[in-house]
Amino acid sequence: MKAAIIYTSITGNTSLLAEVIHDNMEAKGIETDLIPVDEFQNHDLYDYDIVTVGTYSWDNGEIPLEMEDVYEAFETENVKHLSTGVFGTGDSFYPYFCGAVDLFRDMLFVHTNLAVTLKVELTPQDEDIAKCEKFCDRLIHQVAVMS
Amino acid sequence: MSGINQPLSKIKLLNPTYPNKATGLINGQSSGLLNWNDIAYPQMYDLYQTLLANFWKAQEINMQDDIKQWDDLTETEKDVFLRINTQLASLDSLQTPTLTHVMDYVTDSSFKAIFAVIAQQEAVHNESYSYILSSLVPLREQNERFDQAKDDPIVRKRNQLILDSYEAFRENPTPQRLFELAINSINLEGIYFYAGFAFFYHLARQQKMVKTSTMISYIQRDEMQHAYFVSQFVRILLTENPELNTEENIQYAYKTIDHAVQLEKEWADYILKDIDGIDLEEFHGYVEYLANKRFRQIGMDNYYPERENPMAWIHVFSDEMMNETKSDFFEQKSRTYTKVSSSNGFDEL
Repeated sequence: MKAAIIYTSITGNTSLLAEVIHDNMEAKGIETDLIPVDEFQNHDLYDYDIVTVGTYSWDNGEIPLEMEDVYEAFETENVKHLSTGVFGTGDSFYPYFCGAVDLFRDMLFVHTNLAVTLKVELTPQDEDIAKCEKFCDRLIHQVAVMS
Repeated sequence: MSGINQPLSKIKLLNPTYPNKATGLINGQSSGLLNWNDIAYPQMYDLYQTLLANFWKAQEINMQDDIKQWDDLTETEKDVFLRINTQLASLDSLQTPTLTHVMDYVTDSSFKAIFAVIAQQEAVHNESYSYILSSLVPLREQNERFDQAKDDPIVRKRNQLILDSYEAFRENPTPQRLFELAINSINLEGIYFYAGFAFFYHLARQQKMVKTSTMISYIQRDEMQHAYFVSQFVRILLTENPELNTEENIQYAYKTIDHAVQLEKEWADYILKDIDGIDLEEFHGYVEYLANKRFRQIGMDNYYPERENPMAWIHVFSDEMMNETKSDFFEQKSRTYTKVSSSNGFDEL
């Protein structure tokens, strides 16, 4: 079983979350690649059983510009085999807290086996760190169910 | 020992022999020319763009609805409305000159430009409070209300924390005092506005004075970017100047922000006590939750117990709420997918 985390970060909060999820996956014995969005290529989606997407949200809860290609890759490639999760960080003082997570969620639900979503306010706190482990468990469980 | 207590020198406008890309936030070498394509912290260009995209002006908001509703407010609501309005105006009045003052000592031209934009926005905020007042009460009462804000002992006490630090920097602009000023700027923009915001959003959720709260929402949106910018400024200042990155200064930040938190609670207990529907205990928790966010933004740990946002209704209005038209990625593509939730068989953590 192999996993990838495709992520973007502007303040460092989402990349921190990506690292925590990465470390949790590895601790559970799953080889996991951290892929910053600027290194992502569509064919990456065929190399994994689990793909998670990490993103901040922009403006009125939008997907950041640099993540649009990732979004479209899931729509155009054959990704039925993938178990997926999406996570993000944001600030609940803006409308549509982590809106980009919701937008990815709705799309991933249609095209992949969406297992789990996670929203975190700014830098992860203790409870968020605890949720990261659940996030990983849920992804691994999804793969087991699928096979 | 290096000079965290040595005055920063006021920098020359142009230093032709220095590079355009500054070598430091303070005490750096910089020609004074700004080329946004060659700056030390490229993310600052994004921040600059975001600030400009937030541009708004008070006169664009038609106050007619609020003018009609004003007489239907209770006397208590009117009184609190005017007192909060002038108190917020007095906070914004401090920011414009302080930020332009800081610009003289910052060596990175991109940061100077951002300080200039933020100072401009504070000037707009200031004007918007005047605009609201001029729509609702005659000049005589406006002036009385400003005098009231100047004389109110609780307002004075809370302003003093900020003023002492801002004045100290004016007197002797050292790196240490610049750090302290930045922390107090976070207090002002990131903590002190929120009892006022709570009041206006509380009216708005009862469909009262919505034009005023539309302006408040624009102000909050700006202030969030300002607090974010200042937090980045603090992080970069501490990273570039390790002699400032001391345990003492970490403790200074905890102590000073905690002080602001206590003053904000005290102000809320005083100004909001007769407002039905705002639970003051809950607001105390809210201020702590808010301050925890500020600590995390400057790379520190939570100081108060970890909790969920207890007053989630205090937030910036969405574009839909303000009837704006959107033109973005999803607008053009139209929303293709149905909203799904955990009832569809996945977990939302």
